[in-house]
Amino acid sequence: MATESVGPSVASSPPLTAEGRRNLMRGTGAPRGRRGDTLTAYLFLAPYLFVLIVFFLVVSVYGIGLSLFKVDIGFTTPVFVGLRNYQVLFQQLANPGLSDFWVSMTNIIKFVVAVVIGQTILALLLALLLQNVLVGRGAFRTIFYIPAVTSSVATALIFLWLYNPDGVINYLLSLVHLSGPDWLNDPLFALPALMLLNIWTTAASFMIYFMAALQDVPRELIEASEVDGANRLQTFWYITVPLLRPTIFLVVALGTIGAFQMFDQAKFMTNGGPDNATLTPMLEIYNEAFQNSNFGRAAAMSVILFCVILVVTLIQRRLIDPSSSSNR
Amino acid sequence: MAQAPTDVQAQAAIRPVEVAREIRPERHFSWWHMVVYVFLAIFTITSVGPLIFTLISSFKTMRDVLAFPPSLIPNPAVVTNYATIISNPFFLRWILNAFIYAVVATILNVVFSSMAGYALSRMNFPGKELIFLATLSVMMIPLAVTLIPKFLVVNGLGVINTYWALILPAMAQPFSVFIMVQFMKGLPKELEESAKIDGASTWRTFFQIILPQVKPALTAVAILTFQGAWNDFQWPLVALGTQDMYTLPLGLFFFKSAHYTEYNLLLAGSMFNTIPILLLFFIFQRYFIEGAVSSGVKG
Repeated sequence: MATESVGPSVASSPPLTAEGRRNLMRGTGAPRGRRGDTLTAYLFLAPYLFVLIVFFLVVSVYGIGLSLFKVDIGFTTPVFVGLRNYQVLFQQLANPGLSDFWVSMTNIIKFVVAVVIGQTILALLLALLLQNVLVGRGAFRTIFYIPAVTSSVATALIFLWLYNPDGVINYLLSLVHLSGPDWLNDPLFALPALMLLNIWTTAASFMIYFMAALQDVPRELIEASEVDGANRLQTFWYITVPLLRPTIFLVVALGTIGAFQMFDQAKFMTNGGPDNATLTPMLEIYNEAFQNSNFGRAAAMSVILFCVILVVTLIQRRLIDPSSSSNR
Repeated sequence: MAQAPTDVQAQAAIRPVEVAREIRPERHFSWWHMVVYVFLAIFTITSVGPLIFTLISSFKTMRDVLAFPPSLIPNPAVVTNYATIISNPFFLRWILNAFIYAVVATILNVVFSSMAGYALSRMNFPGKELIFLATLSVMMIPLAVTLIPKFLVVNGLGVINTYWALILPAMAQPFSVFIMVQFMKGLPKELEESAKIDGASTWRTFFQIILPQVKPALTAVAILTFQGAWNDFQWPLVALGTQDMYTLPLGLFFFKSAHYTEYNLLLAGSMFNTIPILLLFFIFQRYFIEGAVSSGVKG
């Protein structure tokens, strides 16, 4: 009887089965109480809690603890060394050029600056372009998004070939009478080559954020500024950009966090070479752990990298989106 | 004069953006749109050019693929690259491994994260706020910095170099839980109440009433998980040790070391990694893009 008024998906199930009646008797109201509900909730949560606790919380704490030990799995028992791993790393700062870790840090900072600026500008440019497309916007969006779906390994393989000294990129340069370098084997050009590749693969995913944000810019504001005689550039700079600030921060922050962890292309295409020119912190951490079997030191490097990323994103927040950081 | 129709139609509750698009071309079709289309053309070429040229070149011979100047059309066009790759005894195994990793991780993550999302969005129980806060917090941790301890934990569990090493950490991801919570929060309370009156158990309510309501979220989570696992390179590199266990991206890495001058083979190999995900993308592109946005909104 009551079932008739319920939505179609419910009504299609049999009105009251034997099972349903049993559930009704013991399942509803006070007798079952909150303890049963809590138990149900935790049953639903159980698999996720396992992953959350083991692979996120435990692992994070474990990583910090690990950095206080000297660990080489399988050879000797772990030895507590206190802050020794950090001490060694910070002492290397006296001569950073000789320390693989600090070379990798210098590389990644250059990399992050170039990639984040490049991908943010390109992403915004693509989004603005798409906003001005009259016909086929969806098709262009799909096309632009393709590099973002392609795997890092596939693009690494493809660009190994394109960056070849006699490859397509140098051929295109030769058309305008430039002689291109041996990109990936030249210490001067290897890192910029990876920067370009990274901008190419990431810009499109950030373009989507800008597209969403541009949709929310009130049309009236733009029209009003145009009526007031502002040209497109002025309108963009004085109306659109300020409204995009939160999105710009989001894109810059996500881009920064991603770029700091660059690993795949550095491992796949150059393995950190030539001459450590493309050595990134994640690659150095990987090498320290799996080649030098120095897991404690590698964990200490991870903690330092984490702190650097945290500080940089906090500073960015201050600079780009001051309103959000002062409010909360 | 341009303002009048905008106002009228905005009042008619049409999104103002849509309206403006209709009006704009007449006012401004000019050099501006020329510039726009020139840029569109340039970015179209840079976006798909490398992939299309790679696809074409995967049918070239080794001499042809390294020819300078590069040729646009394979001459002769050969399928030997693909044949050579398929005949590599490990290659099919790598594809299978990548497929198992991606499919199992996707199925488990969709089920487990929607279960967790259901509990976190529609039930009341002690500890709920804490779990949600932990979810938000771990989303901020750059994943790669936990690589080393994660390896040691998986090593301690004794599952290194098994499918479990890949699947366990991926089977219920905080990002996915977050997406599910966001979607389920908005559903009307009556859904469960009427199901309860009907005598449906919580599980049945979840599977038969709630899940069908959040299909877009499920699809987005499924696609993001599949893409992440299928393309994953770093974690398999750390977690897998023997060639028969490699996933395709990892296999391609070692394939590259063995055939580093044979770009014809490498390009064909890269297509095995690229084409499945592109097909998925063309079928489900809306979910790829919406999923990418929603997963980053709070990140």
